Amino acid sequence: MSSTEQPTEVRWRLASPADLPFVYRLVTEVDPRWYRFSRHGLEPSSMIALMGSIAGGAIVHDSNGQPVACALLADSSESGTGHLEYYALPTPHAERCAALAAPDLLGAVFAASTPRRLYVERFENDPQLLGDAAHLFTPEVVLPDFLLIDGTYEDRTTLVLTADVWWPWHETRSEVES
Amino acid sequence: MITTSRIVFRPVVPDDYVRLYEIESDPATALTWRYRGQLPPIAEYEAALWRQTQQIMVVEGRDTGTIVGYLQLHDTDLRSGTASFSLYSGPDHRGSGLVMEGLMAFCEWAFGNWPIRWLYAHSFEHNVSAFESGLRRGEAMRLGVLRERMVVEGELTDVHVVGIEREAWLASPLRRRFNQLRARQR
Repeated sequence: MSSTEQPTEVRWRLASPADLPFVYRLVTEVDPRWYRFSRHGLEPSSMIALMGSIAGGAIVHDSNGQPVACALLADSSESGTGHLEYYALPTPHAERCAALAAPDLLGAVFAASTPRRLYVERFENDPQLLGDAAHLFTPEVVLPDFLLIDGTYEDRTTLVLTADVWWPWHETRSEVES
Repeated sequence: MITTSRIVFRPVVPDDYVRLYEIESDPATALTWRYRGQLPPIAEYEAALWRQTQQIMVVEGRDTGTIVGYLQLHDTDLRSGTASFSLYSGPDHRGSGLVMEGLMAFCEWAFGNWPIRWLYAHSFEHNVSAFESGLRRGEAMRLGVLRERMVVEGELTDVHVVGIEREAWLASPLRRRFNQLRARQR
């Protein structure tokens, strides 16, 4: 597939310990944007230990069966909130695949763990991976000039998607698709 | 250590833990702080107190020698040059201004001793008034509000994220006044 061709089919599956090498590679390729893992550097053993604390995850594959992105659900709390961490390999193809898979992944998160509020954090120049669902997220906190990335300070924004916003959109989308 | 006419601001020592435990046990606030009603027993308190924490500074009232509150520097992130802080005030000293004077000492100490560009605080809706004067004057910034972020006593509550930027603190008239008062103590 060429870099400009639109992927039409992506699949995702639950992550397993066997995916750790891919996730580690992904963290290193987008470093420092996957900040949960990059903040203390890229030493593998401490990163793997940190990954062990994650509630659940999924790996997105392209139509050739190659892993291109990873989603993790972290910090699920008794107050009904969670953080979605979603990153793709830094290629236009991988990012398009991730954007295409995003609504289904969000549906799986809301169906499986029923958060009241699902947070996503992103730097201002992160690629937009949430696809058709991106507009459902509302910014709540902006940390100005949070991190130096390639010589420029970037803001870090916390966005939220509430269950009240998600479900009506999801149901309408499902009706249209069926 | 930082001394003003009213407070002594110094690092915590183990002999202070009982007083810190007493402050955190206050029923009026125990549910809203870190442990949210599940304060560990005193035997396990030290480990819980220092979790994710780099330094704890206590604020002593000079007239009584009593610890009136304390401030905690935690989640220091040297890659981004940021850290968070928590502020705890003893129930019998709220409204006295002593702990807020301690916050000025904390800013002076933290920005003077750590490579930090931003200090963040997360405050429940019902505690955020403690920061209002700083927000009004501009030493602190409200960076956003996480709506209905936590459950406290069965009720959903907002969490305000407040930031203090190093350069804003260094240039603030409040800092200048604070250090003038300190100088008179020397």
